Amino acid sequence: MSFTQYRVVLTGVLNPGVTQEQAIEAIAQLFNTQPERVSQAFTQAPIAIKKDVDLPTAQRIQNALSQSGVMVDIQTMEGEAVSSGQPQDVSIKGDQQTSKGSDELQRYDMPGLQFSIEGRPDYAFLTVQLPKNETLKVEASAMATMDTHIVMKTKIKGGLGRLLTSESLFINEFTAENGPGEIGIAPGTPGDLAHVHLNNETIYLQNSAFVASSSSVITETKWQGLAKGFFSGESLFLIRCSGNGDLWFNTYGGIIMLDVDGDYVVDTGNIVAFTEGLDYDITKVGGYKSLFFSGEGFVCRFKGKGKVWIQTRNVGAFLHWVEPFRPVESSSSDD
Amino acid sequence: MQIELIHRPGNTAAKIQLDQGESCTAESGAMIAMSGNMDITTTTHKKQSGGLLKAVKRMMAGESLFLNHFEPKAGAGEVWLGATLAGDMMTYDLDQESLIVQSGSFLACESSVEVDLGWQGFKSFLSGESVFWLNLRGSGNVLLNSFGAIYPVEVNGEYIVDTGHIVAFNESLDFSLTKVGGSWLKSFLGGEGIVCKFKGRGTVWCQSHNPTSFGSAMSSDLKARKV
Repeated sequence: MSFTQYRVVLTGVLNPGVTQEQAIEAIAQLFNTQPERVSQAFTQAPIAIKKDVDLPTAQRIQNALSQSGVMVDIQTMEGEAVSSGQPQDVSIKGDQQTSKGSDELQRYDMPGLQFSIEGRPDYAFLTVQLPKNETLKVEASAMATMDTHIVMKTKIKGGLGRLLTSESLFINEFTAENGPGEIGIAPGTPGDLAHVHLNNETIYLQNSAFVASSSSVITETKWQGLAKGFFSGESLFLIRCSGNGDLWFNTYGGIIMLDVDGDYVVDTGNIVAFTEGLDYDITKVGGYKSLFFSGEGFVCRFKGKGKVWIQTRNVGAFLHWVEPFRPVESSSSDD
Repeated sequence: MQIELIHRPGNTAAKIQLDQGESCTAESGAMIAMSGNMDITTTTHKKQSGGLLKAVKRMMAGESLFLNHFEPKAGAGEVWLGATLAGDMMTYDLDQESLIVQSGSFLACESSVEVDLGWQGFKSFLSGESVFWLNLRGSGNVLLNSFGAIYPVEVNGEYIVDTGHIVAFNESLDFSLTKVGGSWLKSFLGGEGIVCKFKGRGTVWCQSHNPTSFGSAMSSDLKARKV
């Protein structure tokens, strides 16, 4: 399953020459926590010190800690081992250290493109390594940096539907011609980024959440129907992403992944994405009094079994907050 | 009622878990998601207390006239709450005491806590600053949000805080609005306007950013409203 979440497990094993005090200090610094809490964790080792992270994040933690001489294992949330930290001589630094890191990445044989997400969770920024002749689909205007031999083509995807979504009409295609290259992608809103590797699966994105995908992912706009689209107040369209490959989407604010089993209610402005198979309805919360006065208006009620990604901030609510700060102009003058 | 804060400090959201029979009260519009068995009732006042007059007072406080009450129907349930602006959140456990909260910083409280417009409201109103205060009274958990980071300041004696930077303070503190410069004119030109002077012993929680300053900074770049 491609939505696998990982945990980082403290084994309690240290590199030769590293004292527990040094290790505790390093971990406390990395997680920005109290040394006392870390030393308590050591007494309970093996213990998970980070949960519900994606593989690149888990590997980053593992790398950072191994440099301070602390060994950690990466496991899936179900406890399946992915990689174990091996004791190593701390005196080995620099090139050898980094080359070991890249070996490990290949050893896991991760499907899809190599990428990294930095600045999480507040200002996530995506860097993708494109192999030669590989093409990446990127939301228009989201490209921030790239190697000079990457060539951009603009394509109109999704036809008229895309024109009608508030998302810009274009998805740009970036191809690494004449050799591998790197591209940096910055979403429009400050917030987090999520990555999923689709394996003949389908995810629906709220219309402004799309950031990038490998070229094999099929992106199309999907009409939500008048009742669902109109009353949700967000958009009449969703972006349907299907097929095989990598998909990245962004949020405004932090990202929360919810496992839905049964039913769950989400404010329409906070929906980012959801997996196919979930049934959804736009409903009111509570009675009619709540509909008009609760400040929630219409909400989306998901039913079934699947995953929903939500964001902690809401663009619509922010715009509403900004409204009083708009300058006032008399109606006679031009805009 | 259990509160868990995630994605602190920039993109904080709060997950409130309610057992069967428990309920909580939240600012209207703060709910971002909730389990399907959660019941929302919207009232103009706290359940079984107050009335329309309190609601009107609360509306004057810049806080919405309405409060939402969440109660799981069968079994336990959860509610996720988020604020509009980027920033942190904090919880405070009231123990038969009062906490004065800047109206925009109130997010939620346990049903055992009373929400009321504080006596300072009238004083602030006269000062012309659009800062109002809610008085949270009783016992139970309180959830507050801030624009930017939250930092506590222990006051023993006197302390001055700009009105836009206050999140909440203990009722044990005496509070007066004053000018910061030698004269009202200097104070105004200095861009500080009116500040709060605290006296006594207690804690003031401050936020690192001032929402009104943020709004004003964007103001000139925003498209004008037609009247």
